[in-house]
Amino acid sequence: MDGFNIKDVPEVVLWIAKIAIIFGGLVGTAALMSLAERKVSAWMQYRHGPNRVGPFGLLQPLADGIKFIFKEELIPEGANKFLFRLAPALAAIPAMMTIAVIPIGTVVIADQVIPFSIAQIDLGIMYMLALGGLSVYGAILGGWASNSKYSLLGGLRASAQMISYELTLILSILVVVALSGSLDLNTIVDAQREAGLWNVFTPFGFLAFVLFTIASFAETNRHPFDFAECEPELVGGFHTEYSAMRFALFFLGEYCAMTVMACLNTTLFFGGPSVPFWPEAPWFLGILAFLVKAGFFLFLFIWVRWTLPRFRFDQLMRLGWKVALPIALVNLLVVGAWVAFTTKGS
Amino acid sequence: MSAILFYVLAVVALLGAAGVILAKSPMGSVISLLGTFFALAVIYLLAGFQFLAAAQILVYAGAILVLFLFVIMLLNLGAMGSRFELSFAPLQSGRARLAAAIAMALALIGLVAAQRASLKALAEPAADAPALDSLRGIALELFGRYSLPFQAVSVLLLATMVAVIVLAKRQRAGEHGSGEGAQ
Repeated sequence: MDGFNIKDVPEVVLWIAKIAIIFGGLVGTAALMSLAERKVSAWMQYRHGPNRVGPFGLLQPLADGIKFIFKEELIPEGANKFLFRLAPALAAIPAMMTIAVIPIGTVVIADQVIPFSIAQIDLGIMYMLALGGLSVYGAILGGWASNSKYSLLGGLRASAQMISYELTLILSILVVVALSGSLDLNTIVDAQREAGLWNVFTPFGFLAFVLFTIASFAETNRHPFDFAECEPELVGGFHTEYSAMRFALFFLGEYCAMTVMACLNTTLFFGGPSVPFWPEAPWFLGILAFLVKAGFFLFLFIWVRWTLPRFRFDQLMRLGWKVALPIALVNLLVVGAWVAFTTKGS
Repeated sequence: MSAILFYVLAVVALLGAAGVILAKSPMGSVISLLGTFFALAVIYLLAGFQFLAAAQILVYAGAILVLFLFVIMLLNLGAMGSRFELSFAPLQSGRARLAAAIAMALALIGLVAAQRASLKALAEPAADAPALDSLRGIALELFGRYSLPFQAVSVLLLATMVAVIVLAKRQRAGEHGSGEGAQ
């Protein structure tokens, strides 16, 4: 590697490499999650789970993907064709785009530090929230365009729940923003590393972490809040009428959203790529630490799904508006006062 | 490159705006409005106002339009059929033509004004003002110089909300014949 200078490499090449690795990693994780979900649920229920395709069933997602592609696509009569085709894309694309600002760590090649994230923008959190807010369109438009009762009810429920919990989600993120004084995810990670204290270990941060985790389950329509596709009541919810690859896109969007939420939880509350008790850890350990932390939260999604029973919809709404939202508001207020009185000047 | 992008986006925004009025079904109007908002957000990005672009998507596309969709779905305005259709009926009345003519005249004046003072000069703040493209600059302006108008606007919005609720409740109370039933 003598004389190798990263500045000699055209920036475009670096961008494309980063996009390929991170985006591929996201979609790969989403595919693996569909397998992990079935495997873990099988172990929890004393079964084997899928184990026929490839070693330990590892090629199952590939087989599923091929099957999805070759299935017949149906569009119900009376459905609005434009919206019906648009909705799966609206569900999947924003969820995939949000990964761009997550700082996964740094890569050091020949003593040169390259940030390992697609984009380092000052308004990283605004970007994530703006795109995250769009994911509700996939559910609501898909449910409406299908021209079916079950889809419509599923779409309504999904959007009501996403709007309600988005407030709690944003307010708990704002606590972290107030603590580290920046909307840039990189700065938030650096602040935690410099303080040697992850946000989750501060009292406000811990409360915000609990609220964020609850809200992230509701935002991604996961158990115990998966009323959008509450099977005994609504068949498949807003994607009842979807088949083949369009259905797969909804599925992919859900798993991508889960992965991004896990990454965001890691970044905001668990110091992102920082290794505990070892600030000077080599870069690959940082990336490994990030993956382990995010992997834990992905496992938590599955763990909770196969452990807890489903809520009732009115209970979900009551929890969101009467419990989670007031706590989040008060928490933010207290943090604001604390930050205002402890920091001087500026 | 950015000039071409701007003109494409401007056309999209205008077509979307026309679609809001001309679409036969309310759902079509909402989708057109969504297109307009997106085009505007990208135009803000081109002008260098990143925060404004993100806020535009977050507030308008992510919150307000979703509520519109909600209301439309709950009101159940009937099936819209399998494709979007345009209806030129709203433009038939004389009053609508007058309004359209006034709007066109205003747009023309705006265009001429923009032509005379280049957009760049408009976008660039005075030397002593904090830069509006940074979050700190926006915050300083909002909570410093424009603190009072900012608070006044929020009170105005609150008052509007209360007024709407009161109106809606009064109507319902009238329907049922007593004001006691409605909480």
